[in-house]
Amino acid sequence: MLSGSKNSFDIPQRPGGPALRGPKSSEVKDKRNRNCLAFTCIPGEHVLEEAAHVKRIVRSRDGEESMVGTLFCTNLRVVFVPQPAPRDAVGAPGCSACLHVVALPCIERLVAVNSFTKAKVLTASSTLKFIPEELILYCRDFRVLRFRFHDSGWEPRAFQVTQAIVQAQEGGGGSVAMWYGSATLRNRENTWLSKEESALPPMLLFEETSDWEKELRRLGAVGWRVSPANERFDMATSLPKYLWVPSRLLDNELKRAFAHFNARRIPRMCWHHPGGSDLLRAAGFHADSDPEKEDVRSVEALLFAGHTQCVIVEMADDLPSPAEIQLSALKLRALCLPDSSVADEKWLSALEGTHWLDHVRACVRKASEVAALLAERSCSVVLQESEDRDLNCLLASLVQILSDSHARTQSGFQSLLQKEWVVAGHPFQQRLNLFRDSDREESPVFLLFLDCTWQLLQQFPASFEFTETYLVALHDSSYVPFFSTFLFNCQWERDRRNQHRASNQLYALVNGWWEPPPLEILSKGGCLVKKGGGPCLPHIWDWALCYTTQQRAQFRNPAYARHCSSTVVPNGSSAPLGGDKPDPALSGSGSVYLLAKGSLLLQTHLFPWENGSLSRKPWRRTQSSESLGEQERSLRCKPSSCPLQPEGLLRPAFVGPLIQFWRRCYLRGSQEVQHGLLASTRAEIAEELDLLRQRLAADPE
Amino acid sequence: MGGVNYVTQKRAALPLEETDEESWEELGSLPLCPLSGAAARSWGGREAPGAMLGKGAGGSGAKPAKPSFVSYVSPEEINIKEPTEKEVNLHLLPGEFLLCEASTVLKCVQEEGSNRGAYGRLICTNFKIAFLGDESSVDDNEPEFKNKIIGENDITLHCVDHIYGVYDEKKKSLFGQLKKYPEKLIIYCKDLRVFHFCLRYTKEEEVKRIVSGIVHHSQTPKLLKRLFLFSYATAAPANTDSQNQTVMFDAIKDWREELERTKGNMKYKVVSVNEAYKVSERLPLYFVVPMSLSEESILQHQGRGIPIWCWSCHNGASLLKMSAFPKEPEDNTSQMHKNFLDGVYKTINKPPYEVLKIDDLSNSLPSLQDIQAAYSRFKQLFLIDNSTDFWDTDVKWFSLLESTNWLEITRRCLKKAIEVVEYLEGQKTNVLLVEENASDLCCVISSLVQVMMDSHYRTKLGFQGLIQKEWVIGGHCFLDRCNHLRQNDKEEAPVFLLFLDCVWQLVQQYPPAFEFTETYLTVLSDSLYIPIFSTFFFNSQHQKDTNMSGDSYSAQSSHFRFLTVWDWSVQFEPKAQVLLNNPLYVEKPKLDKSQRKSTRFKHQRQLSLPLTQTKSSPKRGFFREETDHFIKNILGKRISKLINSSDELHNNFTEFYDSWHSKPIDFHGLLLPHTEGPVIKVWEQRYLRWIPEAQLLGGGTVATATKILDMMEEVQSLQKAMDEKHSQTVPQGREALPMLRNSARLSSLFPFALLQRHSFKPVLPTSTWKDLEDEEDLAKRDDEFVDLGEVI
Repeated sequence: MLSGSKNSFDIPQRPGGPALRGPKSSEVKDKRNRNCLAFTCIPGEHVLEEAAHVKRIVRSRDGEESMVGTLFCTNLRVVFVPQPAPRDAVGAPGCSACLHVVALPCIERLVAVNSFTKAKVLTASSTLKFIPEELILYCRDFRVLRFRFHDSGWEPRAFQVTQAIVQAQEGGGGSVAMWYGSATLRNRENTWLSKEESALPPMLLFEETSDWEKELRRLGAVGWRVSPANERFDMATSLPKYLWVPSRLLDNELKRAFAHFNARRIPRMCWHHPGGSDLLRAAGFHADSDPEKEDVRSVEALLFAGHTQCVIVEMADDLPSPAEIQLSALKLRALCLPDSSVADEKWLSALEGTHWLDHVRACVRKASEVAALLAERSCSVVLQESEDRDLNCLLASLVQILSDSHARTQSGFQSLLQKEWVVAGHPFQQRLNLFRDSDREESPVFLLFLDCTWQLLQQFPASFEFTETYLVALHDSSYVPFFSTFLFNCQWERDRRNQHRASNQLYALVNGWWEPPPLEILSKGGCLVKKGGGPCLPHIWDWALCYTTQQRAQFRNPAYARHCSSTVVPNGSSAPLGGDKPDPALSGSGSVYLLAKGSLLLQTHLFPWENGSLSRKPWRRTQSSESLGEQERSLRCKPSSCPLQPEGLLRPAFVGPLIQFWRRCYLRGSQEVQHGLLASTRAEIAEELDLLRQRLAADPE
Repeated sequence: MGGVNYVTQKRAALPLEETDEESWEELGSLPLCPLSGAAARSWGGREAPGAMLGKGAGGSGAKPAKPSFVSYVSPEEINIKEPTEKEVNLHLLPGEFLLCEASTVLKCVQEEGSNRGAYGRLICTNFKIAFLGDESSVDDNEPEFKNKIIGENDITLHCVDHIYGVYDEKKKSLFGQLKKYPEKLIIYCKDLRVFHFCLRYTKEEEVKRIVSGIVHHSQTPKLLKRLFLFSYATAAPANTDSQNQTVMFDAIKDWREELERTKGNMKYKVVSVNEAYKVSERLPLYFVVPMSLSEESILQHQGRGIPIWCWSCHNGASLLKMSAFPKEPEDNTSQMHKNFLDGVYKTINKPPYEVLKIDDLSNSLPSLQDIQAAYSRFKQLFLIDNSTDFWDTDVKWFSLLESTNWLEITRRCLKKAIEVVEYLEGQKTNVLLVEENASDLCCVISSLVQVMMDSHYRTKLGFQGLIQKEWVIGGHCFLDRCNHLRQNDKEEAPVFLLFLDCVWQLVQQYPPAFEFTETYLTVLSDSLYIPIFSTFFFNSQHQKDTNMSGDSYSAQSSHFRFLTVWDWSVQFEPKAQVLLNNPLYVEKPKLDKSQRKSTRFKHQRQLSLPLTQTKSSPKRGFFREETDHFIKNILGKRISKLINSSDELHNNFTEFYDSWHSKPIDFHGLLLPHTEGPVIKVWEQRYLRWIPEAQLLGGGTVATATKILDMMEEVQSLQKAMDEKHSQTVPQGREALPMLRNSARLSSLFPFALLQRHSFKPVLPTSTWKDLEDEEDLAKRDDEFVDLGEVI
C-alpha cells in the first residue's frame, strides 16, 4: 500500500512554503538536473557521496519498473531522490514524490553485483575491487532496495558512492550518542515551528503522573493508587517513574518489596478488568535476598492485590525465550529473502521449520488463556518473567488488546505500547541491536508482538481501528533511530538524554522535517555545530513526521466497528476491591495457582524463601485428581460463574490453520509477492460515502 | 448425565415402522434390475420412485406395494400429511419419503471432549439422513443463512463420505451387511461435516434398522434411475417461473452467441453433426470446430482427434481441446490415427491458424489418481473426530498440509493455466489441450484460462455459463467423478473441486475482480451432492437426454423437469442469496465503440511482450534484468553464473508472469494468480467451517463484510437521495439485511456457523476451578497444601 518504501521520509513540498530558514540548513540540488527533488537533511547530516542517473528497480504494483534518480549517501542515511517523471506531474501523488530512505543502521547487508564477478557482500574490511553495476541493500525491516548504476561514464561515481555507503554503514551507523547528537539542533530549530503541524493523537505517554491517574480512572480501578516511589529512579532504574500499587499499601511498605525481585521490578498493576480482576506483572523473585517477615507481607500484599486468589503466570514454561525468538527470526529472515532457494512446494515446511509461527501461536494462546482467566474470576493474575522486560511486555499488551476494546483503537494502542513497552523498560536498544552493540542480546521480541497483534487483526478485522499498514509502519519505525521511542533500554536512559527538556509536551512541538527548510549544512561540508538547548528526539507517535496524509489515511481501518457499549464499569462499581474485606493474604486464606502448560495448578510454595531463608527446592505442584469431565460439568452447570463478560473480549483461535504468515511485512523484499492495492477498495467506499454525505449536506435543496 | 432418564420413549413405536423391518435387508439381496432398460419402461414414469425402493417403506407408512403399484401417495399428500400425522417437523421434499428412523439417538457435540449432546430422532429417507432434535424449538434462533433444501442436521445420501461404527471404543468402517451393530455411528460428510450419533440409548431393533438402513442407502451401488433426482422431478410441482438467465449451451444459438461474443466466428463454426449423437455420446449435441474441418473427418473417429473450440482471445488466438486416441502399441490403427491427426493438424495449421501449441495434459499434470489420493489425505486434516486430534496436528500443521500435496496440485493447475495464457496472450498462439477424453483436466485448465482472461466469466452468470459450457455440456463425468452411484471407486476424483479451489485462490487474491464471493463457491461445492439438481448428476449431455424421458413408449411420456443448480432461489431465500454476491464488484463499464478501440489498444500494449526468445531468467528473477542486459550489450558470450540455464519455455513463462505482476491490475482485464509458496492457501471457509476451534466470535471476514454492506447500502441510498433531491421524497427505509445487522456477535464461520458455542468455552482445562468454587475446602483437602499463613 505504501508502495514499497514504508519508512520513507516523505517531505511533501508545502505549497508556497514559507521562507523559513534554519541556521544550518541547505537545499540539495542536483546540479545536472534542476527538476530533481531536493531532500531535506536532518541537522547534523551531510552528504558524503552521490551518484546521479541511478535506477531504482521497483516492482510494486503501483510503481513503474524502475525509477531514475540520484543516490545520496550521507553520514546518517542512504537517500534516493527520484527524478520526477514527466507524467507524474499530473497524477500519482504520494508514491512518486516519495523519497526512498534507509537509515544506515537499518542496513543489514550490502551486496554489489557485477557480471564479471559473483555477487559480493560488502564490508568495511573488504575492499571493493570492481565497479559495481548494481547495489542491493538488504534492510533489517525486510525491505530490499536495488539500485542499478548507469552504464557508461558514471562508473567512478558508482564506485565512490558504494564505497561511501559501505564506510558510512560500518563506521557511521554509530551509536545512540551519534544519532542523538545529530538531533541536538532540532530543539532550537523547531522553536519557530508552527503548532498546527503537531498532531500528536490524544494518547498517554505515561511519563507524567497525570497520565497514570487518568488511565487509572478510565479503568475504574478503585483499589489502586499511583505511587511515585520510583520518581527519581532510585528504587529501580528500569522501572517507570510511577507505579500502580494497591491503595492500602503505603510507600514505605512498598519499598520493602523491591529488594526481593530481580532488578527490583516489583509486581504492579497493568490493567484492571471491569469485573474486578487485576492483571499484574512482575520480575522473578530475587533468590538471594533475605526477606524479613514484614517484607514478605508486603510482597504478598502486592501479589494478591486484595483478592483471595492469585494466579501466577509463568512465562518461561510455555513461551519462547528471547534467544529462541532470535533464532527463529533469523531463519525466517533467510526464508523471506527474495533469493531464498526454497521451492514453492517446500515452502510450507520451511516455514514450519523456522518455528516462528509456533512462537506466535504460543503467545496468542497464552494471552487468550490469561484474558479468559481475568474474565472468569475475580482474582489477581501476575505475569512473572525472570527479568520482566521481554515477554511480560508482550503478554501484558496482548492480554489488554484482547480484553479491552480501547486498546484496539490507535490512540489506545499507542498508549498501551508506551505503558507496557517504552516506559516499562523493554530494552529496545539491546533487542533491536540497531547499533550492533552486542549481537547476543538481539531478539525481535517487539516484532513478535506486532505479529501477534497482526494475527488478531487478521482474525478480527472489524475490531481494530488501525490497519496492517499501521503495524508495518510501526515495525519500520523501530528500525529508524530518529525517534526516542525505540532508542533506549528504559525510561531512565531516555530521561537522562532529555534532561534539559522542559516537559514532554514539547515533543509535540519539536517534530521535525515537515517543512523543507533550505539546509546549508550540505554545502558547508557538514560541519556540525553543537549549541546549547536540550537534546530532544521526537516520539514516533506523531506519524506526520514520516508519513504523508495519504499514507496515514491508510492507517485507519474503514471497516472498524467501534464498540458502542463501554466495556468499563464506571467507577469500578462492580469491583470487589473495597477496603472492607479483610486482606486475604494477611489473614492467610489466600491461595496461589500457577498457570502453566494450559492448566491451573495449586501452588503450595509461593516463594523461594522459607522462613526468611532461601529454599532451593523447586515449587511443588499438586494437581487435583478430578476427572476432566466432572469439572466440565461443574463449570457448565454454573453458567453464572463468570461475573461479567465484557463485550469487547476477543477470543482468538490459535489452531494451526488460523495462525498465518504475515506476508505484507516479511515478504516485502521479494518482489513477486508485492501487492496490496486491494485493501484500498474498502477505503474507497468509505471515501465515496464521505463525499456523498458532504455533497448532500452542501446541497440544501 | 441425567440424559437417560430424561428420555422417555415417547416415540418408541411409531406405526409406520412396523413395515420397515426387513425392507432393505431384502433390498440388499434384491437383484438390482436394470431400470434404464425394459423394467423401467414397464413401470412407467410416475412409478419410478416407487420402483427405486422396491417394496420400500411407503410414504406414510403404506404397506409395501406391489412392484407395479399405481396408487402411490402423491407427493403433495406426503408433504401435507406427514408432519401433521407425526407431530414433528420432518420436512420432506416432493418425492421424498421416510425409510427408517430411530428415536432416542444422542447427537454428540464435539467440543473439548465433552459428552454434551442432544437427543432426538435419526431418520433416513430416500433423499437424506436427518436428525430431528427433541428440543429443537427451544432456542428459536433460526439460522440466518438457511439452505431451504438441506437443514443443519441433514445429510443427503450423496453427501455421505464414510460411515464408521464404534464398537467398544474401536472405530470400524461400516459397509455391506452388518453382523453386529455399533453403539455409536460416525458419519463423515463430503462437505466435511462430521456427525456423531450415539445409539446407546436407542432400542436395539431401531439401531439395527437405522444403521443398516443408512449404510445400505448411502454406501451400496445404485442405479442411475434410482437417483432421487428422478423421484423429485416426477413429484415436484411444475416450476414454471424459474428465472434462469444462465446460458446453458444446450442450444445451437448459445454457441453462436458465444462465438460472436469472443469474435471467434471468423475462424470457427458450430456444427450439428452430433445431433442424435451420431458421432459420439461423449460429445455434446452442438460444438464448435475450426472452419476448415470437414464433417467427414469429424464423423471418422467418434470425436477423437477432433480439435474442439473452447474460447477465443481478443487477439484471435484460440483455446482448443481434443480427446486423444488411446495409447496403443504401434500397429495399423495407431498409424491410421497418426495419419488422421497429421491431416487435422495440417488443416488447422494453415493460415489463418498460424501456429498451434499442443499440450498433452496427461503428461504435464498429475493424474486423476494422484488428485484423488491428494484430496483424500487433504480432507483428512479437516475431518476431525475430536478436538484433541486437532491440537496434535497443530505443531506440524504446515508439513502435514504440504505432505498432502493438494496445494501443490492446485498450484500446478494454476501454473499450467498461466502457461496457456502466456501462449494465447503473449505469443498469440493457438493452444490445443489434449487429454484422453478431454473432459477432466481439460475442463480445469480451459475454464481456468477463461476465468483468468475473460472478465465475463468472473461475473456470476458468466461463471455459471462457463461451467455449463466446459463441464456440464463439455462432458465432465460428474456422476463417475463424484461417485454418486457408488459403482466404481476407481473413477472417483475431485476434479471439479480442484477447479473450484483454483478459482477460490483467484477470488482470494483478487476479490474485487469477481462478482461472486467465496461463499458462492462453497455453496456451489456443496450443491454437488444435492440430488434435486440435474446439473451435477450426469456424465454427459447424452446421458441426460436419454434419461430425460421417463419412458419413451409410454403414452404420457412426460419429460422430467429437472432443476438446475443455477436457480439459487431453490436453495436460498433472496436475503441469503445476498451473501453470494460480492458487494465490491464493479461491473465492467460499457464502452462505446471508439472508446473500446482505444482500451483494447491499451490492453494489448499492457500485456503484449517482446517475443524475443533470447531472454533468460533465473528462478526467482532476481538478477535477471541486469544480467540480460549485460549478456546482450557488453559481455556477449560470457554467461554469468547467476543465470540458471533453464529452458526457453520456462523463461518465457516467468517473463510473462513477472511482467504482468509488475503492472497495475485491471480487474476487468487479464488476471494472473500468484503461485508462490506463501500465497497458495487453504480454502478456509470450505474446510474449516465446521470446526469449532476455528471459530472466531465477532471475527473473520464476515465482520468486515458486514461493514462493507452497510457502507455500500449507504452509498446507494445517498446516491438515490442525491438523484431525488428535487422531489421531496423521504429517503425510504434502507432495505436491511436482517441477518447482518446484528453482526457484532456473528462468528467467522458465519454463513455456515450452525454449531454454536453454547457456553463460554473454557480456554483452560479448569482442573482446579472446582477448588475455587468452595474455598473453605481448600485448606483441609490436601496434605501438601501449606497454608500461606505458615509461610509468613
